[in-house]
Amino acid sequence: MDMLELLNFYIIPGLVLGSIYALGAVGITLAFAILRYAHLAHGDLATLGAFIALAIVQASGMPPLAALPFAMIATAVVAVGIDKGFYEHLREKPKIITVMASLGIALMVRAVVQVVWGVDAESYVRGIVRPETYWGLRIKDREIWTVVFMIVLVAALQIFLARSKWGKAMRAMSDNPSLALLSGIDNRKVVVLTWIIAGGLCAAAGVFLGINTELKSMMGWQMLLPMFAAAILGGVGRVEGAVLGGLIVGVAEELSVLVLPSEYKAAMAFAILLFMLLVRPTGLLRGKVL
Amino acid sequence: MTSLLRLQGVTGGYGDADILQDVTLHVDDKEIVVIVGPNGAGKSTAMKAVFGMLNVRAGSIVFDGDTITKWATDRIVQRGISYVPQVDNIFREMSIHENLEMGAFLKKGDLSAAYDRVYSLFPDLKERRKTAAGTLSGGQRQMVAMGRALMLNPKLLLLDEPTAGLSPRYMEQIFQICRDVRDTDVAILLVEQHAKQALAFADRGYVLAAGQNRHEGSGADLLADREVAEMFLGG
Ligand SMILES: Nc1ncnc2c1ncn2[C@@H]1O[C@H](COP(=O)(O)OP(=O)(O)OP(=O)(O)O)[C@@H](O)[C@H]1O
Ligand SMILES: [Mg+2]
Repeated sequence: MDMLELLNFYIIPGLVLGSIYALGAVGITLAFAILRYAHLAHGDLATLGAFIALAIVQASGMPPLAALPFAMIATAVVAVGIDKGFYEHLREKPKIITVMASLGIALMVRAVVQVVWGVDAESYVRGIVRPETYWGLRIKDREIWTVVFMIVLVAALQIFLARSKWGKAMRAMSDNPSLALLSGIDNRKVVVLTWIIAGGLCAAAGVFLGINTELKSMMGWQMLLPMFAAAILGGVGRVEGAVLGGLIVGVAEELSVLVLPSEYKAAMAFAILLFMLLVRPTGLLRGKVL
Repeated sequence: MTSLLRLQGVTGGYGDADILQDVTLHVDDKEIVVIVGPNGAGKSTAMKAVFGMLNVRAGSIVFDGDTITKWATDRIVQRGISYVPQVDNIFREMSIHENLEMGAFLKKGDLSAAYDRVYSLFPDLKERRKTAAGTLSGGQRQMVAMGRALMLNPKLLLLDEPTAGLSPRYMEQIFQICRDVRDTDVAILLVEQHAKQALAFADRGYVLAAGQNRHEGSGADLLADREVAEMFLGG
């Protein structure tokens, strides 16, 4: 197999899939670091975001990328609402209770999607998209958009976390929650902010998965394991780590087809997750051990 | 004259058990007061009581004319008390400058005067302001922790064992900084393991044991007290 073939059939699709995982993994890593629990409804929130965008596309005829900001806002609102309605009341309880609650939320969100949009596969636009060829590389426009949007969204988030007062408050809460409270930082606002960001990024992951493949009610749930693997691979609490982890998991899944039957693709994420937890639980970029 | 801070008969603890029993102490304006006592005596607990982090069942805590016994932590910070905990008192992954900024989180508007004040107390920190606090030495971390607590220009600073684990040279430096801080009109209540040195340096001291105050007096008096010496100062 030559280099171009490797790039065209494995690396490029892997990076696109990895970018989608990265968007979800960044939210998971933030929730993990700031709220201190594994949020199992993350995948199904991504599904919801994808279907909200579908509703907008169908109602207005706008392209899915134009619907993306609206879907992100709507999903962020839903995420904050779920926190206020459910997780907030469990804050003082052991974290495992919230983890289980988030599993319940995952099932609930999926049920809503299935009731409203049915269980059949849908897509944003019909017809076949032909890839363009750049120096022998076959790349579809939507693949470029996926990677570019991921980079732009993550860069914006990084600037927010590094420069703004509330971004720093989020980092402080992740770094040392009791000292953050002693400093007068309002934990409730930090939590809301975390859900706005995580919810918005979730929707982006779902929409880009929908753009590159198709929309199904199980699409997000199936991304949950790779997204968690990416977050832990990168190091919990590390935004740039989650991106790196997402890209590695995406490429690894695509490459696995070379040596394993394709049904085992999904097992790659599990293998990476297990390996990291055993060998280096702090992740590549030294995150927290929870 | 009324004291800046007065704990009157404070009794309370974390759960059902009372860790503090009938603790009474006070800190006057511009005073450095030290609490000494054996491990587990409740010294840290007494500080947490002031900072609204304890279930106080009896007694009162009055600060600058306000009864703050049941106040929320952020309100106490706003009112003019800052607290440096015994452990985990910095944001490790944030820069020195960001640590200070978090200390001033409740302050609106321009922070440059607050930065100037803290950096003039800790010139070492200014040079390294972009460095992650977690990579600093123990003494410098303690300076970051104190700097963070001073950003809101408090009237009272609570320091829990600021010299724990530091070399004698750093201990002297921290004590000197405490004097400098006091000279900017901030009263200090601190807990110390190095009882001899601390009593020699503080204006007044309290000896706390098993959740009760046993002795109080000027640093020199306590140092001269035979009973205190035998109990806590290793003869
Ligand atoms: N968060 C907590 N919950 C329950 N009990 C606690 C807690 N923190 C301390 N205690 C208990 O309260 C008592 C007093 O502890 P405290 O930390 O105030 O002692 P200390 O005088 O500061 O000791 P040290 O010199 O070791 O710092 C101890 O018996 C301790 O076990
Ligand atoms: Mg203590």
